[in-house]
Amino acid sequence: MEALKYMSAAFTNPLLFVLVAVGCFSGVYIGAIPGLSGTMAVSILVSFTFGWKTETALALMIGVFVGVVYGGSRSAILLNIPGAPAAVATALDGYPLAKKGKAGYAMGIATTQSIIGTAIGIAVLMFAAPLVAKIALKFKSVDYLMLAFMGLMMVGSLGGKSIASGIIGGCIGLFLGCVGIDPQTAVKRFTFDIPYLNSGVHFVVAMIGLFGASEAFVQISDRGAKPVKQEIDKIIPTFGESLKYIPLTLRSAVLGVVIGALPGAGGDIAALLAYDQAKRSVKNPAVPFGEGAVEGIVAPETANNAAIGGAFIPMLTLGIPGDAITAVLISALSIQGIQVGPKFIQQQPDMYWLIIAFLWIGAVFLCIFGLTGIKLFAKVVEIPKGILMPMILVLSVIGAFAIRNSLYDIFWMFGFGLIGYFLKKYDFPIAPVVLGSILITLFENNFRRGVLLAKGSVWKMFLSIFKSPISVLLFVAIVYLILSQTAAYKKLMAKLRKR
Amino acid sequence: MKKFFALVLAVAMALSVCSVALADYPEKNVNGIIQWGEGGGTDVLMRPLASLAEKDFGASIVCQNMTGGTGSIAVQYVSDQEADGYNLLMGAENAPLYQVLGISELTYADFDCVYLIGDETVGIVVPKDSPYNSFTDIVNAALAEPESVTLSTTGKGGLPWEVGSFITSVTGATFNQIPYDSDKSALTAVMGGECEFTVCKVMSGRQYAESGDIKFLCMFSKDEVAALPGVPSILAEYPAFEQYLPWGPFYGVFVKKGTDASIIEKLSAAFSAAGQDPSYQEVLANRSINFKGYTGAEAEQYITAYSANTIGALKTAGAID
Repeated sequence: MEALKYMSAAFTNPLLFVLVAVGCFSGVYIGAIPGLSGTMAVSILVSFTFGWKTETALALMIGVFVGVVYGGSRSAILLNIPGAPAAVATALDGYPLAKKGKAGYAMGIATTQSIIGTAIGIAVLMFAAPLVAKIALKFKSVDYLMLAFMGLMMVGSLGGKSIASGIIGGCIGLFLGCVGIDPQTAVKRFTFDIPYLNSGVHFVVAMIGLFGASEAFVQISDRGAKPVKQEIDKIIPTFGESLKYIPLTLRSAVLGVVIGALPGAGGDIAALLAYDQAKRSVKNPAVPFGEGAVEGIVAPETANNAAIGGAFIPMLTLGIPGDAITAVLISALSIQGIQVGPKFIQQQPDMYWLIIAFLWIGAVFLCIFGLTGIKLFAKVVEIPKGILMPMILVLSVIGAFAIRNSLYDIFWMFGFGLIGYFLKKYDFPIAPVVLGSILITLFENNFRRGVLLAKGSVWKMFLSIFKSPISVLLFVAIVYLILSQTAAYKKLMAKLRKR
Repeated sequence: MKKFFALVLAVAMALSVCSVALADYPEKNVNGIIQWGEGGGTDVLMRPLASLAEKDFGASIVCQNMTGGTGSIAVQYVSDQEADGYNLLMGAENAPLYQVLGISELTYADFDCVYLIGDETVGIVVPKDSPYNSFTDIVNAALAEPESVTLSTTGKGGLPWEVGSFITSVTGATFNQIPYDSDKSALTAVMGGECEFTVCKVMSGRQYAESGDIKFLCMFSKDEVAALPGVPSILAEYPAFEQYLPWGPFYGVFVKKGTDASIIEKLSAAFSAAGQDPSYQEVLANRSINFKGYTGAEAEQYITAYSANTIGALKTAGAID
C-alpha cells in the first residue's frame, strides 16, 4: 500500500509524466543513431538537469534510458546498422525481414517485445530485487569467463554457411580487441608505438564500419537492385502472435534480467546470448534464423529491454551499477544528495518507488512512440539508393566520430567498412567479428583474474568451478551446448525418440 | 509526400549531432576524461564538480570514463589530444607513479593542474563473514603462507597496491593481488567473497560498513576517522607505519602542458567556484574528503610533495627500484 502511495506521486504530476515522455521519445532517436549512446545522453543530462528537483531530473533520465535501449533496433532493422551493441543481434534477422518488405512488421515485433521485456524487468525489480542482487554478487571471475565463453560459442551459430568462416571472423574480432594498452598490466600490445592505438579499437567503431559502411559499399557496387517496396498494413503483431512467443519471451527476459543485473555484463551480452538461446531452442522456425526469423527479433529485443530492470537491481539494492547508464544515474543521484546503497530502499522508499513508477511510465510511452512512427520509418528503406547510401555513410562517419570525438575513429570505421565489404563479397559472416571484439575484454580480464585467484594454475581455476553452484550450472550449460551439437548426441536423441 | 517526410527525418537525424564551432574558448563542449570507471571513487567526485563548473563556464563539460592501465589509458589519451583546453584529465593520485612503474612515460609533470579538489583517508576492509578480525590476523595469515591471502586491487600503481607495498615493507607479509577495473569492482569482489581483503576509501566503504556488508579493520591514518568511530588506527597494531602517514589519495583536474595560460585561468576559476559551492562542499563532507581547493602553484607544490613522499615510501618498501 505504501508503494502505491509513493508511486502515485509520479502518476499524478503531469510535469513528471511529460518529462518521462520527452526522455523516452528523444531516447528512441538517440538510440537509433550508432555512436550516440545512452550513456552519453544520460551523462549530458546529469549536467543539464543539475539545478532541477531530483524527481524531475530522474524522470527525464529514466525516460531516455528506456527509449535508448529500444531505439537501437530501429536502425538495425532498417539499415543493418545496429544503433548500439545491444542491437547487434536484432540486425541478424531484422534486416533480412526489411529486405523482404517486412520492415514495419519487424519493428512492430521489436516494439511489443521491448515493452514486454521492460515490463518483466521492472516486475523482477519490484518483487525479487534483493534475491537477484544476491545472485549477481555471487558471480565470480570464473563465472564471467564462462559467460564470455558461451558468448564466443555463438560464432558457430552466426557462422552462416561454414563454421570455419565464423571462427575466422571471431578470431579477427578477438585480435582487434587486444590492440591497445592492456588494462591490467599497462603493457602496450600491437600499438607499434603509434600513440593513437594506445586506447585500442573501439568496438562500436568496428560495429559501425562492418555493418553500416560495408552495407553502403555493397549496395553501391550492385547498382541494379531496386529498393524493396514495404508492406505497411500489418505492423502491430496480433495478440495471438505474441502469445505464441510467450515461452521464448520468458526465457529471454529471465536471461536479460539476470545478465543485466551482473555488474560486469550488460544488455549487449544479454541480447547476444538470448539470440543464441533462441536459435538453439526454437526447433522449427517458420523462416530459418538469419533469413528473417521473427524469433530472432523476439529474443534479443526482449532480453535487452529486460536488462534495464536488471541493471537497476544492484544499483538500488547495493549501490553497485549494473551497467554504464546506471553508473551515471548513481552519480546523478549523489549530486542531488541521494546516496544509493544497501540502505537506500529502506531509508528512501519514496525515491525507490518513484524510480519504478518512472520505469512503468517509460514502458507505456515506449508503446505509444514505438508503434506510431513505424509507417514513416519503414519508408526509409524505400528511399532510392542514390540518396540513402550516401546518407548511411554520413551517419556512419558522424557515429564513429561522436564516440570519442576522434578523427582516427573515422579512418578506422572506413577501414572496417572495406574489410566488411570484402567479407560480404566472399560470403564471410560479419557478426562474429563484432562478437569477438565485444567479448574479448570480458573474456580476457576474467580469465586472467581467474588464473591469478587460482595462484597461477589454469587447472586449479578449472577445479574452482565445482565450488560454487552458479559456476557448476554455467559449466553444465556449456557442456550441454557443446554435446548437443555432436553427431553422437543427435543420434542418441533420435534413438530415444523412436522408443 | 511520405517519401519526402522520411527524407527530412533522415536528414534531421544526421544534422542533430553536428555541433557549431564559433567564438573563443570555450567555443565547444569540453570533454572530461575520467581515468577510473563509472560509479568509482573518482567518478562520483568528478561528475558533480563538472556539472557545477559548467554553470557559468559557457560550455558543457561532458564527462566520460576511460579506464584501464591504472588510469594511464586516460592520461595517454588526454596527452595525445591538442593542448587546447578541450580535453580535461579528471584524475586521481596514480599518475606520479607511472614512470617508476614502467606503466607510461607520462606523469602529472606533463600536465598542468587546473584544480586540486582534496585528498582522503583509506582503511583495510574484509567481508562481513571474514575469519580475520583484526589487521594483525591478516598479516599473520599472510606470513604463515606467503601470497595465500587475496587482495583485490585496481592494478599495479593503484591505491590497494600502494598500501599493499607499505604493508609488505613494514610487516614482511606478501599477498596474492588480483586486479579489477575500478575501486568499486575491487570492493564488490570483497563483498562477494572472491577476494579476502582490500584497501578502500572511507567514502567508498562507509555505507557498506554501516549496512554490515563489510568490516573496516583499521584506518591507514594517524587517528580515528570521525565517520567511522571505533575503527582503530593502523598505528595501534603496527606503530612502524608512522613513517608513511599521513597518506591518502588525492583528486584533481588537469590539462595537457602547453595549454594557454588564459585557458587554464578560465578553467581554474570555473572549478574553484564549483568546489566552493555549498552543494559540492556537502558532497565532499558526505564522502569524508579533506578539502584542499588548490590551483596554480599551490596545487603543483602539493603534487610534487606527494610524488616525492610516495615514491620514497615505495622505494623503502622495495616495491620499486
